[in-house]
Amino acid sequence: MGKLFAGFGRLYRGETTFDFIGRRIIGFVISLVILVAGAGSLLIQGLELGIDFRGGVAWEVPAGSLTDQDARNVLEANNIESSNAKIQFLTGSALQIMRVQVGDQPEEVRLSVQKAFADLAKVETQEVSVASVSSSWGRSITEKAIRALFVFFIVVSLYISWRLEWKMAITAIVAMAHDVLISVGLYSLFGFEVTPATVVAFLTILGYSLYDTVVVFDRVQENAKKFAASRQSFANIANVSTNEVLARSLNTTLSSALPVVSLLVIGSFTLGAKSLEEFAVALLVGMLAGTYSSIFVAVPLLDLLKRDEQKYKPFRGQVAKGQAMSELMGLGANSIPSFVASDTDGAVTIGGEVATNNSQKRVTSVLTHPPRPRKKRR
Amino acid sequence: MNKRRHIISLSVLIVLVIGSLIANLVAGNTPALGLDLQGGASVTLQPDGEFDPAGLDVAVEIIRARVDSIGVAEPEIILQGSTVIVNLPGVKDQQQALDIIGRTGELLLRPVLQSGRLNENPDTTVPAGVTTIPTSVTTVPEPTSDSVEDGAGIVSGGPGSVRFFSKGRTISSATTVPNSPTTVDPATSSTQVATSDTSIAVSTDATQVAAPTLGLGDDPNDPTQTALLLDKQGIAYVVGPAGASGKVFKNDARADVQTGQWAVVVGLRSGPDGDQLWNKLAAACFNKTAQCPTGQLAMVLDGTVISAPTVNEPEFTGGTVQISGSFTPQEARDLAKILEFGAVPVRFGVSQAQTVSATLGSDSLRAALISGLVGILLVSLLLFAYYRLMAIFVLVGMSVSIAFLWSVISLLSRTNGLALSLSGIAGIIVSIGIAVDSYIVFFERIKDEIRFGKTLKNSALRSFESAWRTIVAADTVSFIAAIVLWYLTVGSVRGFAFFLGISALTDILITYFFTRSAVLLFARSKRVQGRKILGIQTVKPEVM
Repeated sequence: MGKLFAGFGRLYRGETTFDFIGRRIIGFVISLVILVAGAGSLLIQGLELGIDFRGGVAWEVPAGSLTDQDARNVLEANNIESSNAKIQFLTGSALQIMRVQVGDQPEEVRLSVQKAFADLAKVETQEVSVASVSSSWGRSITEKAIRALFVFFIVVSLYISWRLEWKMAITAIVAMAHDVLISVGLYSLFGFEVTPATVVAFLTILGYSLYDTVVVFDRVQENAKKFAASRQSFANIANVSTNEVLARSLNTTLSSALPVVSLLVIGSFTLGAKSLEEFAVALLVGMLAGTYSSIFVAVPLLDLLKRDEQKYKPFRGQVAKGQAMSELMGLGANSIPSFVASDTDGAVTIGGEVATNNSQKRVTSVLTHPPRPRKKRR
Repeated sequence: MNKRRHIISLSVLIVLVIGSLIANLVAGNTPALGLDLQGGASVTLQPDGEFDPAGLDVAVEIIRARVDSIGVAEPEIILQGSTVIVNLPGVKDQQQALDIIGRTGELLLRPVLQSGRLNENPDTTVPAGVTTIPTSVTTVPEPTSDSVEDGAGIVSGGPGSVRFFSKGRTISSATTVPNSPTTVDPATSSTQVATSDTSIAVSTDATQVAAPTLGLGDDPNDPTQTALLLDKQGIAYVVGPAGASGKVFKNDARADVQTGQWAVVVGLRSGPDGDQLWNKLAAACFNKTAQCPTGQLAMVLDGTVISAPTVNEPEFTGGTVQISGSFTPQEARDLAKILEFGAVPVRFGVSQAQTVSATLGSDSLRAALISGLVGILLVSLLLFAYYRLMAIFVLVGMSVSIAFLWSVISLLSRTNGLALSLSGIAGIIVSIGIAVDSYIVFFERIKDEIRFGKTLKNSALRSFESAWRTIVAADTVSFIAAIVLWYLTVGSVRGFAFFLGISALTDILITYFFTRSAVLLFARSKRVQGRKILGIQTVKPEVM
């Protein structure tokens, strides 16, 4: 427990020195296991597509005391094969709603079933919601979403290549695919119904994952510039950057996830929010995956791509750990000119923390001494 | 950046946001709620089979007119690509919605039995006049036609020259058309009508009298019965059973300038369903037979007479029909569009129909609102615990963002018929996280800088520069996502994209004009120097 608090304190002060690159294998194995499980489930049981994608009719009836069998009787009376019908009870705070889904039906059947349900539940016909979707419509929105996805990939890759660099673009896209696969796999594994809201959730995960990766990579690039003179392995740059953004990543994840958690909790106590609930689950998993993949997948992958670049090759395999890494971080964040940096570096290895602080304070106070404002003399 | 500019930026933004909030409140603009939040019926239509893109606009207009006629408050009719989405908030009866929307509008050619203006005030003895304004129709040789009839030579000005008269145009136009009859004065007009094969005069209230005497059908849209129809100027036409539909025309109608005035030229299809049918009808009207005593042929779309020109030629052998008169360029183009639609009417299939009960809708709204508020509360607690008093900036900034978003959404609801749907709310909830992240990126930077012994003032300045780059990059990615989704998808995904995009823009705006100015002003204030900020002791600068 004490150690945990100490760890939190270091995180709070931005003094963590985890060696993410050296332990990349752990992250890769975890991701691989989850991905294989998800992909396996996708192959074996596929996705539970909602009527918006398959086409079909759904009625929502204020359930009262209705049972499964009542619903089947109504369907049979209208010559609908009831064995394929999907009957769910959605429980809310005030009342229960029964949702009955079957394949596509002609309009007259839809109406007569609606009326039959209304009679059964002793409510007005209009209180029974009917939704019908033709299967071609579902196909066309899926196609549109997939096309949008590809365009999005291309545009975003171009943007990241321009803003950062192309290796980062590739890595970011891989991390994003990782997150979406995990969320889709989860949907398949738990048999959640895929609705248009789910598609929205997946797309959000895409955006969120990229956003998170861009924030981390932005720091990596910044540090790469700062360390250019001090000649470091890329692993060091990556480790330092990741540790520096760790607090931010955790905070952002928490503050993004909290509204989603409240959506999940409150949604599950409220009527008609079934889709909201599943939407929230997908989002939550996607957000967690997004943060995780930026740190444990994207950055280590980037290191694999970059460590053999001419600039970094001579130092490949040199990983500063613990105290040495925090020295590096001091350099990075402070961006002291390199001759000062080597000076501090020397002082630190012998003197430890106190020495560092002193020397740094000295240097920075000199650097930040503001020039006398001349204007005021007028 | 000096102090004054920060103060100006801050106060301008706050005045702007509060001003627009108040303006919206005073004007009574509130965000319109989507169907899934307030209940109602929604129908998604997709064209079946062959259709003309120009016809699609006409089809949407028809649907809009029908929806307006049943008086639904704030209907939403959206054309996305070739998909038409009709949202009818408050309409509980799905069947009613389907009946109104599902019908295919068809352009019908119906002989005019009688025409005139309905007397709006039955007490007056002076009959409301019928003004006949000439429009003329001539056949013109079709330039691209290779048919044999073409050789039969439609020479302009030949014996086959046709004249049409269309009611309801302005009198001045009469002078531009040679050979046209003079305007008929009201008295003559009513006699003229009276001498037709019925005994009633249009000067009385035609809706009351005409119906029994003329044997009007129950349903004015039934093409097999006689009906009383109006055109857009309010002139009434008693029309006979439809002689043909708009399918006699090719879908090549175009507005064109012919002999100095705007006209519409359209080709005839050949064969029994094309020019043969048309010529039969034209002959009947030209000869003013009992079937078509006025010689006028009304073009009727969805129960409205679009145009009722007089046929001036018994046979149209050139393969084209020209409708001319005193059209404005816009009128000519509109008529061409309608003829084109008539040639290939858009048949819609219902791809999706759904009703959301009002209880379900309001429940979802409540769930979304409560979870949004609880979410904000939890985030605030977290931020206060972590960033101490600096979290106030986040709270105030978020309030400014929310006020700004509310104003924008209200305004767009009013002007563009934007509706806030469940997926839109999801987009906003997600964007809370993104907005908070901007502060977190900024604050973590400041902490880094302070930790290495910088004064608060310098830390804040330097941190903003690097945080700003990061925030812009990240928001740009969100914004790209929003734009791509908006253009390439339909339905709920689009609503989500819209709000995501707006939130990303708001975030950039607020970060630059609010957060930057507020935090930088705070950081340079003398009172906080050397205090514990963000839980970290800052250095007291030697010189301020």
